[in-house]
Amino acid sequence: MDNWVIVMMLIGSLFLGGMALIAFMWAVKNGQFDDEEKYLNATKFDNVEDLQAAVENEKKLEELKKKSYRPE
Amino acid sequence: MSNNIACSHCHLEFSKDVMIIEGNHYFCCNGCQGVFHLLSDEGLESFYDKTGDIKLSPQTAQYEDSSNFNAVAFYDKFVKIDKDGFSEVSLIIEGIHCSACIWLNEKALHKMEGIIEANINFTNNKANIIWVDSVVKLSEIIDMIRAIGYNAYPYDASLQEVHANKERKEYYLKMAVAIFASMNIMWIAVAQYAGFFSGMDQSVKTILNITEGVLATPVLFYSGWVFFRGSYYGLKNRVVNMDLLVATGASLTYIYSIFITIVEKGEAYFDSVSMIVTFVLIGKFLEVISKKNAADTLDIIGKHLPSEVNVLKNAKIVSLKLEDVSVGDTIVVSSGEKILLDGIIIKGEGSFDESNLTGESQAIYKAKGENVISGTISIDADIHFEATRDFEHSTLSNLVSLLETAINKKPRIEQLANKLSEHFSTVVLLLSIITFFVWWFWPHSFEESLMVAISVIVIACPCALGLATPVATLVGLNLGAKKGILFKEAAQLETMAKVDLLLVDKTGTLTIGKPKVIKEQLLNNFDIGLLYSLVKSSNHPISIGIKNYLEEKEEIVNEIIFDEFSQIAARGIIAKYNNIEIIGGNIQLMHENNIKCNYETDESLFYVAIDKKLVAIYELSDSIKSGANELISSLKNIGIETIMLTGDHKKSAQKVADKIGITNIHSELSPQDKLKIVEKFQEDGKVIVMVGDGVNDILALGRSDIGIVMGSGSDIAVDISDVVLLNNSLESLLAAFKISDTTFKLIKQNFGISLLYNAITIPLAMAGYVIPLIAALSMSFSSLLVVGNSMRIKYKVNRK
Repeated sequence: MDNWVIVMMLIGSLFLGGMALIAFMWAVKNGQFDDEEKYLNATKFDNVEDLQAAVENEKKLEELKKKSYRPE
Repeated sequence: MSNNIACSHCHLEFSKDVMIIEGNHYFCCNGCQGVFHLLSDEGLESFYDKTGDIKLSPQTAQYEDSSNFNAVAFYDKFVKIDKDGFSEVSLIIEGIHCSACIWLNEKALHKMEGIIEANINFTNNKANIIWVDSVVKLSEIIDMIRAIGYNAYPYDASLQEVHANKERKEYYLKMAVAIFASMNIMWIAVAQYAGFFSGMDQSVKTILNITEGVLATPVLFYSGWVFFRGSYYGLKNRVVNMDLLVATGASLTYIYSIFITIVEKGEAYFDSVSMIVTFVLIGKFLEVISKKNAADTLDIIGKHLPSEVNVLKNAKIVSLKLEDVSVGDTIVVSSGEKILLDGIIIKGEGSFDESNLTGESQAIYKAKGENVISGTISIDADIHFEATRDFEHSTLSNLVSLLETAINKKPRIEQLANKLSEHFSTVVLLLSIITFFVWWFWPHSFEESLMVAISVIVIACPCALGLATPVATLVGLNLGAKKGILFKEAAQLETMAKVDLLLVDKTGTLTIGKPKVIKEQLLNNFDIGLLYSLVKSSNHPISIGIKNYLEEKEEIVNEIIFDEFSQIAARGIIAKYNNIEIIGGNIQLMHENNIKCNYETDESLFYVAIDKKLVAIYELSDSIKSGANELISSLKNIGIETIMLTGDHKKSAQKVADKIGITNIHSELSPQDKLKIVEKFQEDGKVIVMVGDGVNDILALGRSDIGIVMGSGSDIAVDISDVVLLNNSLESLLAAFKISDTTFKLIKQNFGISLLYNAITIPLAMAGYVIPLIAALSMSFSSLLVVGNSMRIKYKVNRK
């Protein structure tokens, strides 16, 4: 009985902590800590158009990758 | 002032009449207007909301054709093809003022067809661009950056830099996992220790053990991978290193703890596994971040030399790449420029600053028919010279290739930590094996003997040992940085503490390197403003010296604009104002103008005559930096001998040496001679610090055990040296010695502490008296002791 409580609490807390760790590792790998100034300043310029542009850029990238250009 | 108006693009303010007016917008130049329109066409006007009032540089630069960026050779050198077949280049972008500039560049590039990614780093203005080469060419990308008002040029993202960043990132990730898991294991361990004393169900214990085991697994195999790798390479080279001790200790403990968990008997040591790995990993990380990249120094030529020279071809001046200049070409050099090739002057004359190569403090006059040497600087000479050697064989590149060998031959003194950990690891592993057999033969169960043997390894935890050096050196490095001393690598602190010989350059190191007025004789009254304006218009070191002197001494009157003005190379200056003729220069100039003067000294003299009458004489000399005497005597007290190496004449070297108490001097040395002296002393087994500042010292700096350079020294010297004194003072040179000495002493103490700790605990462990709580506590305690002890460096250095 009691043991289940301990097991659940351990699993629950470690799961939450683990998520935070994974998020942090993702951010490091993604280069979000490489240039602190840029990412901090980016919040100042946040707007809908930029978001739209970013989405379009993603699309463009996908397309280019699909076409899989190869240098001759 | 009120009718000044800001340019709509660059925000610099100009008078309204000179602006280009267009509707509501004003532009200071066509360039700004062009950029403004381009941005509106592209829909990027919101750039101006983002810049606010920040002033940009107006778009005035004219660029040469960018098509040479498409050359095959260029692509070979700078453009990489990534795994998806896209092209990738690293650029440095010039003209970035604010984060809005970053935004604009990234936006503009993203809008271009074929560009996949453009990522600009705000801190160092380096951009990484990935594009599809069949859609858009590099030249178009660079044209775009130029069109919006910036400039870009590619740089070789040297593999070392990329590699170093990657390594650092890898360590961040590994430490994140290790610290996360260790912190969790710690609080689970608290429950276990509590249970150890107050009693705990075996079932609960097993649950906690399993959880700890789950957490310790990534720590050992992901974070701890560096230790497995390190011990593998160590064994390959037949070296027992600290990595091996950590790897065997941690993995044996891990296996043993799994075994305990399964048989549900005894205590598991998963907390020790993760603690050892985490602590030693942090120590290793500190070492990594304070390590200089040896390979970084090798790309010196490309970095510090202009790559183009002006060549006279068919009566036209063209820019040619250094490598493309051939023997016999005529090269045009104007005043203030660096000479990059060796040759003979065929037109013009003037003074040259050769102190870079020879250490000679006085400017040298050269006329037609005389040799110019690459690496020197023209002070006031506009000359044409014929190249007598191509760049590959020039004095300068000769020097650089000598430098590369000098750096490669630089001795590396083995660090105490490496020496010690090798023995330590061997001894501990042996002790553990002995313990196992002793217990097994004096009848104990296999299980029990193994447990005791493992506890020996666990208790001999090298945490404190692993932290002993990195923490102490880090404190030392920080203290140095605060005092303006930049140690490029942690290990240098230790090497410097073992030094027994200091070789020191004269010009620019012991002396300020620039002539200063030491005596002024005013013979007749005259307008000081005239003299000030006269010396201000020349950039000869003597004129600058007098200018600085006048600025310090006098209230400076209005500057005069001369009606006539001429510089006579290597003589002086003649100017006319309102029919007053003022002549300033050396004795030759006075004699040529029939002005009598008969005052003589060893120092440089500057005579001033107005209307052919001598009015003032200034005596200039290079002065010695403050703290020189103290430095030499303090070093003598701690047993370091000082020798002066200079390229200057014996007489001036002797004079300086006498003043500050150096008895041993070598003068009139070429850079190669200096290198030979360093080599000779090294053969005698001396550990050498070389202090210098110029190109003439670089060979010696590169070869000596520690090369220290003045921050004002030449770029190459700063690059290849190990320690940089940012404030150029001799006081900080002395401080550098003190810091390294103290740091090394405390490193030794730290080793003492951790060895003492082991001397007490290992016998206890061998006797089988160690319980997990004591193991964990003593492990943390010894680490804390080492860290705390390291903090004392600051206090000790300041007290000295």
